[in-house]
Amino acid sequence: MKKILGILGLLIFVCVFTAIKSPSFLSAYNMENTLRWTSLFGVISIGVAFVIITGGIDLSIGSVIGLSGTTLAYTLSVKGWSPYLVIPMILICSMCIGLFHGLLITRLKLQPFVVTLCGLLLYRGISRYITNDQSQGFGSGFQGLRQLAVGKVAIPFVEGFMIPVPCFLLLGIAIVAGIFLNSTIYGRYLLALGRNEMAAKYSGIQTERMTLLAYVVCSTLAGLGGILFALDVNSVQPAGLGEFYELYAIAAAVLGGCSLRGGEGSILGVIIGAAVLRVLYNAINILRIPTHLEFAIIGSVILAGVIVDELVKRYAARRRAIRSASQE
Amino acid sequence: MNAETPSSDSPSLEVKNLVKRFPGAIALGGVSMTHQEGEVLAVIGENGAGKSTLMKILAGVQEPDEGEIFLRGNKVRIPDPASATEHGIALIHQELNLADNLDIASNIFLGREPRGKLGWIRQSEIREKAAEALEQVGLKESVRTLVRDLSIGRQQMVEIAKALSFDARIIIMDEPTSSLSQYETENLFQLIHTLRERGVGIIYISHRLGEVKELADRVVALRDGQNAGEISKEEISSDRMVQMMVGREFSQFYQRIERPLGDVALEARDLRTPTFPQHAINFKIRAGEVVGLAGLVGAGRTEMLRCLFGMEPATGGEIMVNGENVTPKNPIEAIRAGISLAPEDRKHHGLILEMTVGENLSLPSLKRDQNKGFLNRKKEKILIDQMIDAMSVKTQSHRQIIQYLSGGNQQKVVLGKWLGMNPKVLLLDEPTRGIDVGAKQEIYKLMEKLASEGVAILYASSEMEEILGMADRALVMHEGRLTGELSRDEISEESVMQLATGQTRETSQSTAE
Amino acid sequence: MKDFTLALKWALAGTVAIAGLTGCGPADSGSGSGSSEKIQLAYITNGIDPFWDTAAAGVRDAEKEFDVECEVVMPPDGSTDQKRLLEAILARGVDGIAISPTDADNQVAMINDACRVTNVITHDSDAPDSDRICFIGMENYKAGREAGKLVKEALPEGGEIMLFVGRLEQLNSQQRRQGIIDELLDRPAQSLDNLEQDPVGKPIEGDKYTILDTRTDNFAYERAKSNAEDAISAYPNLKGMVGLFAYNAPACLEAVKGAGKVGEIQIVSFDEQDNTLQGIIDGSIHGTVSQQPYEYGYHSVRILAGLARDDKSVLPESGFLEIPIVTVKKDNVESFWKELKELQGKGKAAQDSEETEEAE
Repeated sequence: MKKILGILGLLIFVCVFTAIKSPSFLSAYNMENTLRWTSLFGVISIGVAFVIITGGIDLSIGSVIGLSGTTLAYTLSVKGWSPYLVIPMILICSMCIGLFHGLLITRLKLQPFVVTLCGLLLYRGISRYITNDQSQGFGSGFQGLRQLAVGKVAIPFVEGFMIPVPCFLLLGIAIVAGIFLNSTIYGRYLLALGRNEMAAKYSGIQTERMTLLAYVVCSTLAGLGGILFALDVNSVQPAGLGEFYELYAIAAAVLGGCSLRGGEGSILGVIIGAAVLRVLYNAINILRIPTHLEFAIIGSVILAGVIVDELVKRYAARRRAIRSASQE
Repeated sequence: MNAETPSSDSPSLEVKNLVKRFPGAIALGGVSMTHQEGEVLAVIGENGAGKSTLMKILAGVQEPDEGEIFLRGNKVRIPDPASATEHGIALIHQELNLADNLDIASNIFLGREPRGKLGWIRQSEIREKAAEALEQVGLKESVRTLVRDLSIGRQQMVEIAKALSFDARIIIMDEPTSSLSQYETENLFQLIHTLRERGVGIIYISHRLGEVKELADRVVALRDGQNAGEISKEEISSDRMVQMMVGREFSQFYQRIERPLGDVALEARDLRTPTFPQHAINFKIRAGEVVGLAGLVGAGRTEMLRCLFGMEPATGGEIMVNGENVTPKNPIEAIRAGISLAPEDRKHHGLILEMTVGENLSLPSLKRDQNKGFLNRKKEKILIDQMIDAMSVKTQSHRQIIQYLSGGNQQKVVLGKWLGMNPKVLLLDEPTRGIDVGAKQEIYKLMEKLASEGVAILYASSEMEEILGMADRALVMHEGRLTGELSRDEISEESVMQLATGQTRETSQSTAE
Repeated sequence: MKDFTLALKWALAGTVAIAGLTGCGPADSGSGSGSSEKIQLAYITNGIDPFWDTAAAGVRDAEKEFDVECEVVMPPDGSTDQKRLLEAILARGVDGIAISPTDADNQVAMINDACRVTNVITHDSDAPDSDRICFIGMENYKAGREAGKLVKEALPEGGEIMLFVGRLEQLNSQQRRQGIIDELLDRPAQSLDNLEQDPVGKPIEGDKYTILDTRTDNFAYERAKSNAEDAISAYPNLKGMVGLFAYNAPACLEAVKGAGKVGEIQIVSFDEQDNTLQGIIDGSIHGTVSQQPYEYGYHSVRILAGLARDDKSVLPESGFLEIPIVTVKKDNVESFWKELKELQGKGKAAQDSEETEEAE
């Protein structure tokens, strides 16, 4: 809990700052949009959090998103397949991608960085090959299916503000992931092996299976993310969809308290981390800051936030030490 | 320094009423100590007794809050390591402080290289002087050898040579033998004797009472940051030293209880380990039996234990538990068969340092106690409380992160996490390495208790005393081979060493049955 | 444990199969490995977009008509990619290149390098300072003014306007943008040689119209959409959106629909994506300025084929072949779309047959 206070503070700070500067930040429409984008990025960030907790990394997320989004648009619009067939198929394929990564990493002992970097290139290439590099879209069709990404649900007794459907998806995934991580023996195993794989092995944990599972979860959620992104934007570029999303996802996870050394992480923190990134993007537009400054601003705000967080933690640690000393 | 008036009566070093406080603890509460010219003074004490703090103060790493330091009768301040060097005091740490990418000569003169007119380092002079220093410590090694290519023992020699190169009068050695082989240890002792003859004073800190007995002219004991007594060479005995350190009698140290032995619990039949597949290993251990596993470093003891635990699956032969062939292919199978292993490397293999005491304790038993995949928090809590209590782990709460516990308490948790699994066979690899006397005794008691409950215990130890004191029977290994078994009556320092160095005894096999 | 090993084997087999397919597949290349003696040309775009699909249709038609082979190359990732692909084409040897530079000012050297070994023309976006032989395109500035006129029609009362574009480094986007601004502010037409540009990041205020800002998205569709959404949030009085690149207006339309402001915010588009044309039919997009990409592709191949056969008569006199702009609005959208589909169908069919030939 303590670990996410810092990032929560940063989120609140950015929100309050933007809201004071521009009232339109709090408009229902803007809140809905920000929530929707946060949810979409939250889904893939939760996935990568699992891998990061094991001490690994997955660089292929963006390309898996691209592959899944492209395949969705291509098979539905061009091939005319049924969504009931296509969506389970894409999710299963994504799982297989994760399984493939996991097996290479646990059985052949390849480095996660290398395996998933090659995945990044491989899946991007496959999406471009399948579609001949042509943009894919749903046109004005599949309105019902698209509600998964762009739909909104009214809240009883609240006028104007509606909750985007992806929020519910994220909530569902987050609850399942949170329970898994905190309340099942497998979650405990995952945290243990992330800290010290050898010690976990000596304790009789099948560390390889757990690592495998983490990569499967990550790729599956990336695949789901790809479906949602494609449905949301309505037009999919095989070479572009999901590019660099792995970095956003990793950044969100790390901001939310996952340590790249492994063994640490909270699902709530990851979601807040994703929210910080999206709110920053949104704030830059809302505050009418020129687009070309956006990377500079996002970079410096996050860096400043992380520095303040670290300083506060040190200050608190010193205070604790002094207090416990004076009690002696 | 030369301006000082040396008086032959005053001790070479004297500290009076040193006090050092840390946030949350008082490391030294008024310690006084003298060191006479050219003597080997041993400082003993349990972990946390204040030995390391005292030595750090002398080496200028820390400054005392109160108290005085005298060198040959003159009051001095040692605010930093450089002034310690100036006063002729050198500290040789547990962890060595050498730049391992540089050669021996550069290390010896690191930071005080003789320079030419233009500021060039005079390499030839460095090498010459370094060679002299190496000769003094009897290290036959080119001064241009990189430090990282040396064994730990030799690196330590380099450290000592470095101290001698600046004419150190007092060399402080903090647990110098903790990572040395038998041979290297003997070398070091020889060197200490030579240094003493040459008038260099040694302050020797160690847990290993055998070494202290062999080396020390005088012993000073610390307990809880206070002086806990002092004995001269004639009075040195393990009993006295333990008594001073823990305030108890040595005779109670190894409390062995007579207990009936059960059926054979663990049996290895023609077992071949991946490391030494050329040797078949055969032995039997009965329920309730405590068997010591002796041997020199590299004898294959750890490898055999890991093989029994399925970490490195056997390449041949069978492992039987209670007469059933279980030969584990991985730790999960071993655990299922009732075999548990507390590994040698506590920090890397035994514990997850960043997790809490409770989480470490319950890790192996989570699966057994699961509730359809979910954590059974109630059972977990009961188990944790039970184990903390049974092991008498000293911790504020089970939520304490385990790396902040002392080595002894950490080791108790390692044992505790396996006791929670109610093992039939408990394998312990160096169960008391790096922990203090008090904790050692508790662990011995625990082993006795488990044995009397019918657990078969096989423990590997490099400390002769531990084999002599604890084992009902001893297995001795040499270069991957089981060279012999010794019954309780046969175990002696000589018989163990004989087997450990590869001399097989004809009689030993027959006593095994 | 066994099933893991088995799965691994399958996964590896799959990878090998995929790698094999990619290796021998046709990808986006129109030219085969050149079994025939045909003239080899390359048509390089500035990115991946349906706009270029239509242009490719023109290329395919011209290929047949002039008996040449032309590879259509779409660099997925901006100017570095363009350079890499161009170098690869030059290394392979080619009889003519048509390129749409992503960053005209800084690519002069690269284009001149190519000019030394083969015939180079530019299309869509020009690099006037280079040694390229001619330029095929429209006057983007003029097109911008046309788009400005569409905004004026849609919003006779005036109001706040926001512009959206993929990249602003490109000459065509700069000229389009300036054309729109100048038209809305009723400034006189500028000469293209010395285009004065209004700075980005500050609102540009005229009598009736205010151009709030120009938002870039680096060809990322979801950024295009979120930029549009954020603009709607940030500017409650926003009246008009202009998408300078083909995919921008559809992205704006998604955002406007989400905000429930269809009709309230007018959208003006460039180019002719299906979603744009559908929007015009539905009345949610006011109109679009089409540059007839089919013609780009067709004429590029025509001119390069002529040059390769030493026929200088194919060159336009001024060194600029202007492809006329078509303004598409509700009244002419259906006939325009029908014609477009026919053209694309034709191009597509040509491409398909080529692919089958190659597969055999």
